[in-house]
Amino acid sequence: MPLDPLSSTFAALADPTRRAILARLALGETSVMELAKPFDMSLPAISKHLKVLEHAGLISRGREAQWRPCRIAPASFKQADGWLGNFRRFWDESFNRLDGLLEEMKAEEAAKAPPRSNRKVRVKKEKQRGRTRG
Amino acid sequence: MDARVDKTLKITTPSDFEFAMTRQFDAPRRFVFDAMTKPEFLVRWLGCDAMAMPVCEVDLRVGGRYRFVFRSSEGIEHELTGTYREVVRPERLAFGETFSMPGFTSDEYLVTSTFVEAGGTTTLTTTIRHPTKEARDGHLNSGIEKGVEPAYDRLAEVVAGMG
Repeated sequence: MPLDPLSSTFAALADPTRRAILARLALGETSVMELAKPFDMSLPAISKHLKVLEHAGLISRGREAQWRPCRIAPASFKQADGWLGNFRRFWDESFNRLDGLLEEMKAEEAAKAPPRSNRKVRVKKEKQRGRTRG
Repeated sequence: MDARVDKTLKITTPSDFEFAMTRQFDAPRRFVFDAMTKPEFLVRWLGCDAMAMPVCEVDLRVGGRYRFVFRSSEGIEHELTGTYREVVRPERLAFGETFSMPGFTSDEYLVTSTFVEAGGTTTLTTTIRHPTKEARDGHLNSGIEKGVEPAYDRLAEVVAGMG
């Protein structure tokens, strides 16, 4: 199934090696050879990751030189970053606060209701009382 | 905290017109539902850290309206308004919503949330359906904090933060 642009962007970003490649490229363009060095991976393996990143529009490969420099593609990354930085952050921050509120709501309810074991004991006592009276 | 509760926010695009958010909470669904529909709870969690929520009005019934206003530190107001279409506490909530900020008002989009509880954990799935793909993509891209931070400047930070 073909992915839409944002989905392929996020699929590409889901892999830690590819994120590390992007972090390296954020510092400046470089060759595939240079990129492969810190990862202890074969050139074909790195090339495969680069293809995914290129397909997602996150990087571009130069055609002007034989070593085909890799670089960040600003437009696409801006789109992904805008998405993360705005919409996602709004809900991430909100939901993290909601976690705290839910903990309070649980604690409040637990404080209101007597612990279950005590309640059982009380019911038993009431029944016994009823029996002795009757 | 329960290790089985996955508190990461997952965002997917199930169709050209929709996107969906999924998030788990370590609490019964009636709490999550109430937190999302009662103003006294909403003001305590909904929004960005840097924004105040001066207006939070809710008329929780089918056909009832709500209005949330967020105000940035620069005084810019963003507004979410809508009409409830389905109110089934604590399992389902649907409303038509419009987002507006100075110079922009969105078309109405449909927001449907389901609350599924298992073993004390609630999974909230919210699907947001826009009339067009362009409007959906705009929603994902524009966000409520647009202009607060120049996105591209934070490139390295975002990449590092995703590790």
